[in-house]
Amino acid sequence: MNIRIPIVQAILLVVISLLIGLGSNIISSKPIPWFAEELAVVDMVEIKSDEPILAAISLKQAKVFFDEEVLFVDARDESYYEAGHIKGAMKNIFLYELIFKIEEKQNKDTPLVVYCGDPGCGDSEQLAYDFKDMGFTKLYVFKGGWLEWSKAGYPSEVGK
Amino acid sequence: MNYLLNGPVILLARLILGGVFILASLDKISNPEAFAAAIGNYHVLPFGLENLLALILPWLEFITGIFIIAGIMVDGAAIMIIIMNMIFIIAISQALARGISIECGCFSVSSAAEGDKIGIITVIRDIGYLILGFLIFYRQKHKFEFFPKPV
Repeated sequence: MNIRIPIVQAILLVVISLLIGLGSNIISSKPIPWFAEELAVVDMVEIKSDEPILAAISLKQAKVFFDEEVLFVDARDESYYEAGHIKGAMKNIFLYELIFKIEEKQNKDTPLVVYCGDPGCGDSEQLAYDFKDMGFTKLYVFKGGWLEWSKAGYPSEVGK
Repeated sequence: MNYLLNGPVILLARLILGGVFILASLDKISNPEAFAAAIGNYHVLPFGLENLLALILPWLEFITGIFIIAGIMVDGAAIMIIIMNMIFIIAISQALARGISIECGCFSVSSAAEGDKIGIITVIRDIGYLILGFLIFYRQKHKFEFFPKPV
C-alpha cells in the first residue's frame, strides 16, 4: 500500500467515512437502520380494530378496502397521478396541505391506504411514515401500487 | 493552461471546493433520515440502500472537504470530488430527463428548505465543481500540502 498512489488515498477516504458514518450512527441518540426495512404484508385486515397499525397490504386487501370506500392517497409525483390513478385517490401535494384536505374528509384514526408506482418504489412507505409522524394511526401501504392495480383492471381514472 | 495548474488558482479551487463540500455535509450529517428520503426521491438506488448511503456520503463530503483544504491526501480528495460530482450530475440529469421535480438535497435536507429544486442550474454548478476537481488533480505545484509530503 503506497500512500502516494492517488487511488489508494481515495479508497482510504471512503474507508474512513464508512467507519465514522456507521460508527456515529451507532452512538447517535437517533440512529437509523442501516438498511430500510420493508413493511410486513398483512392479509385479511380487521378494520374495526382500535390498534394503531402501519402495515403493507396485498392487491386483494386493497380491493376490499376500495370497496369499503377507504380513502386512498397516491404518493407519486403529480405527472404520474395525472396520467392515471386509482379512482378517487388523493394527489400527493405539499404534506401539510394534503393532511388538511384528508382531515376535511375523515379523522386521523380512520384507515388510509397509501400507494405508489410499483412494489419497488419507496414513496408510499415514506409518505406513510410522514403520516405516522403527524399522528395518523391506521396506515396501510399497498405495495403493488399502480402497476398491480391497473393490471388487474380495477377502477381508475385519469386527469387532475 | 499552465497558469491554471500553478499556485494561486489551485489554492483557490481547494478553498472553494473544500468550503462547499463541508457546508454541504453539515445539515445531512445531523439529519440522516431526511437525507435518506431525499436520496430515495431520485429513484436511482434499490429500496433499502438509501440509509446506508445517507450515513456515509455526508461524512465522505465532510472529510474530503477538510482534507483538500488542509492539504492532506489532496490527490485522493480530488479523485473523490471528481467521482462524487459525476454521480451527482448523473443522478440529477436522469431525474430531470424523466421530468420528476424533486428537492435537490444538495445543501439542506430540512423540511423548511422548500424551493431548493433541482434544475439545469444545479447541473451546471456541479460541472463547475467537476472542472475545479480536475484542475486540482492535474496541478503542477504542490503548495501547502502536508501529507504525504510532496517529493
